[in-house]
Amino acid sequence: MSDHKQRSFEEEALPHLDAVYRVALRLSGNETQAEDLTQETMLKAYRAWSQYREGTNARAWLLTILRNTFINEYRRTRRMGPTVDVTEVESFTVFRDVQEVDPEGRFFDDIVDDEVLRAIDALPEEFRETLVLSDVEGLPYAEIAKITEVPVGTVKSRLFRARQALQAQLYDYAVEMGYIKKREAAE
Amino acid sequence: MTDRPRAIDCAEVMERLYEYLDGELTTERSDEVKAHLQDCAPCTALSSFETTYIRFLEARTRTRNAPEELKKRILEEMLFPQDDS
Repeated sequence: MSDHKQRSFEEEALPHLDAVYRVALRLSGNETQAEDLTQETMLKAYRAWSQYREGTNARAWLLTILRNTFINEYRRTRRMGPTVDVTEVESFTVFRDVQEVDPEGRFFDDIVDDEVLRAIDALPEEFRETLVLSDVEGLPYAEIAKITEVPVGTVKSRLFRARQALQAQLYDYAVEMGYIKKREAAE
Repeated sequence: MTDRPRAIDCAEVMERLYEYLDGELTTERSDEVKAHLQDCAPCTALSSFETTYIRFLEARTRTRNAPEELKKRILEEMLFPQDDS
């Protein structure tokens, strides 16, 4: 390996290691696998670094390698937990329920981090990965479309349903924990 | 010709709300949503609720970084690759 190759990898790819790990953690659902997946992704990327064009999008390139590695080698072993039905989701029902008692969404503050991650993990895979790339990593729709190999329109609709399904989950949890009172059914 | 954005209704705002908040709309489309929000209290309330929610998600999930041990392991493997064939 040339010094130049190593230096450019360290400058362009390594700063994204945390992002790769976070996405790996949400894809695989456990820390040990996330570490293995991250290590494998970074080493594959390093070996293939000559195929990367300097100054283009290293983060998207790494996340694409991560996703392919996960799909080809890890997905089969993922523990199958309960998943939320995102097809049932209606638009903005949580806001409708809370607009009179808590329109500012203060109840969100009471929800612990672990519960947020648990709820994300319960989303079906394609919705979870879209939400993670958008809301955990802050990627633009076009980049998510490229990584997940779907049209931008699909990213939009998946993100919409994922956010709404997650919000409904978190709201139900907050009601259950007594952080917020459920609105009595009208009429 | 007028520079005023085209008037859109609440349903259209709801449909585009996430794209608007994510900065994914063209300037023209974004201005239409913005103009509607200025005149519509219910949509403004919804918009600020969803903004709170998205910021909450970001704040609660972006904090985890890769363990230092893992970083070290990857660097070592880069410098001194082991034959894993």
